Amino acid sequence: MKTLTVVAAMALLLLYVWERVEIVRVGYQIERLKVKKVALERERDELQVKLSALTSPERIARVATEKLGLVPPQRGQVILVNVKPEAPAHGEPAMPDVKLARNESVGKVP
Amino acid sequence: MAAASYRGRRMVAALVLLSGFALILFRLFNLQILQAAELTVKADRQHRKAVSVQGPRGSIYDRHGKVLAINMDVPSVFGVPASLDDPSGVARDLSPVLRVRAGEIEKKLKQERSFVWIARKLDPEQGRRLERMPLEGIGVVMEGQRFYPKGPLLSHVLGFAGMDSQGLEGIERRYDPSLRGEKQMVVLQRDALGRTVFPKGLHEQVPSPGHNVILTIDEVIQYIAEKELEEAVTATRAKGGIVIVMEPRTGAILAMAVNPRFDPNTVQAISADRWRNRALTDTYEPGSTMKIFVAAAALEEKVMEPETLVYGENGRMVVAHTVIHDHDRLGWMTFAQVIQRSSNIGSVKTATALGAERLYRWLRAFGFGERTEIDLPGEVTGLIKEPRNWERRSLASIAMGQEIGVTALQLVTAVAAIANGGWLMKPYTVSEIRDEKGRVVVQVSPQVRRQPISPETVHTLSKILEGVVTHGTGSKAAVPGYRVAGKTGTAQKIDPKTGAYSSHLSVGSFVGYVPAEDPRLAIVVVIDEPQTEAWGGVVAAPVFRRVAEQALQHLGISSQEPVKLAMTTSSEMARP
Repeated sequence: MKTLTVVAAMALLLLYVWERVEIVRVGYQIERLKVKKVALERERDELQVKLSALTSPERIARVATEKLGLVPPQRGQVILVNVKPEAPAHGEPAMPDVKLARNESVGKVP
Repeated sequence: MAAASYRGRRMVAALVLLSGFALILFRLFNLQILQAAELTVKADRQHRKAVSVQGPRGSIYDRHGKVLAINMDVPSVFGVPASLDDPSGVARDLSPVLRVRAGEIEKKLKQERSFVWIARKLDPEQGRRLERMPLEGIGVVMEGQRFYPKGPLLSHVLGFAGMDSQGLEGIERRYDPSLRGEKQMVVLQRDALGRTVFPKGLHEQVPSPGHNVILTIDEVIQYIAEKELEEAVTATRAKGGIVIVMEPRTGAILAMAVNPRFDPNTVQAISADRWRNRALTDTYEPGSTMKIFVAAAALEEKVMEPETLVYGENGRMVVAHTVIHDHDRLGWMTFAQVIQRSSNIGSVKTATALGAERLYRWLRAFGFGERTEIDLPGEVTGLIKEPRNWERRSLASIAMGQEIGVTALQLVTAVAAIANGGWLMKPYTVSEIRDEKGRVVVQVSPQVRRQPISPETVHTLSKILEGVVTHGTGSKAAVPGYRVAGKTGTAQKIDPKTGAYSSHLSVGSFVGYVPAEDPRLAIVVVIDEPQTEAWGGVVAAPVFRRVAEQALQHLGISSQEPVKLAMTTSSEMARP
């Protein structure tokens, strides 16, 4: 009985010490991860700045016209189609409501 | 005997051990109980370090979530001159990385100070190179820096933040309390090696970051406005210009371009004159665009009907001892034609029929002479004198858009009231404020200031303004496939040297909306001091057309053209 009590007390003591050590160990681990998180956040911000700068409309227009030789669409080359969502009453197929974005020189599109 | 001496030795050993333990116990008692309070304070001072930490500044986005301003941590380098053995050698090592002459760095390092900044807010790449260099007495810290990744785009609206992340102009200033990160004293706990350890109470303090601001601005329309304005200013060799694009139904600003532009990333090198958002801080005499509101008043007060005949005096009339001219020698014309051909004489006669009091009241009703209360700093009220202070010529002058100072923003807001059926809206640039987790903190909804004009009058006036573009002075503003309503304006400027109207300094403008039957965009274009040509119909109307054309396409607003033409195109395109 006496031995059992001593063993139990020792076990409790060890458990307590183990717990303390573990707290410190995990604490350091958390700190390491926090440093890593900050580094990753910095990288994310850096990439976001880069992405934002690279997708600026000014740059896209410059690359499109100067590097790729693209030109803005001419009149008649863009046709916007308005599709009305409501279904027709008599089961006829819904006809899209076609409207022109720009009308001039429509006939001259090659 | 042997047993006795054995016991004696055991006693001695026990005594030595016991007195050892007693000593330790005594020391423990001394440290843990007697000196406890004093030592705890001392230990805490070594373990804990209080630092002031500020949460990062919030970002600014356009209406589609495109980043316009963002914070990023960048490295700054400092030196501790006292702990340097070889300042000139260190300076030589740092010079190529910092791209600063070694002599300059050396001068800083030889100062009699304990701490000195060598270079602040560097490239992240420079920071990484510095970290790889083992330099004694040199340290790198990270500091938050504001970036405007799109460069000059929207600079006059965004404004900028200073070195210590405080908003100084524009949105950055007006919304500084929301954008600014929380400042907090944080207590860090360190171990024997100076590493930060997780706090004992498992309670972590982290200052919360600033809120994100979402604008009503559309980055693409902003770009279109800035690009077209820049081209027009260059082509006409003008001093500058303004373009504002507004959603008439809500008062939301889609684009606000001011030329010349500046880059908020390099703001230190630019004079304050360039930062000013002249769309709302500067007034100008609007000239003929004012005739829209003279007409609105006359129609609403039933002083004029579109078909009322007005005599144009063959282009010359004397009012209060001064001669008023029209650019054409006009005879009899309808009231609609007075506006469409921008007759000064016709407009003066209309204003005379209204009388000073009514004209003044109507101009005030449309918001002239008061702030639009837009959510941007620095707005002015404009200038409109009360009738009791008018001189004999004033009524005529105001009818032609002189002796009255308006901002471009006031003008477009007033025209938007005609576009949307009579509601004077409060213009705004911020639609939402969100916290760092994306939860909406503030949601801005459109606000009506008042309804100055009835829908019936708006309908009549809109028809007249469409005529300005189809067969009047604004023909160059016509957007193929869409109905455009608007008005040109050409105003002489006062020559600062003589104090009289200058013969060569002028402001050319166009203000209007599109599509006229269901307005989605209200646009004002102001070209300041064009050198090639003065007329608003020539310098400003084409800018309106180009901005409107591209913006309508970007927004997917279809024209009212018949289907037939589209079918022709598709069949022709189908040919091999």
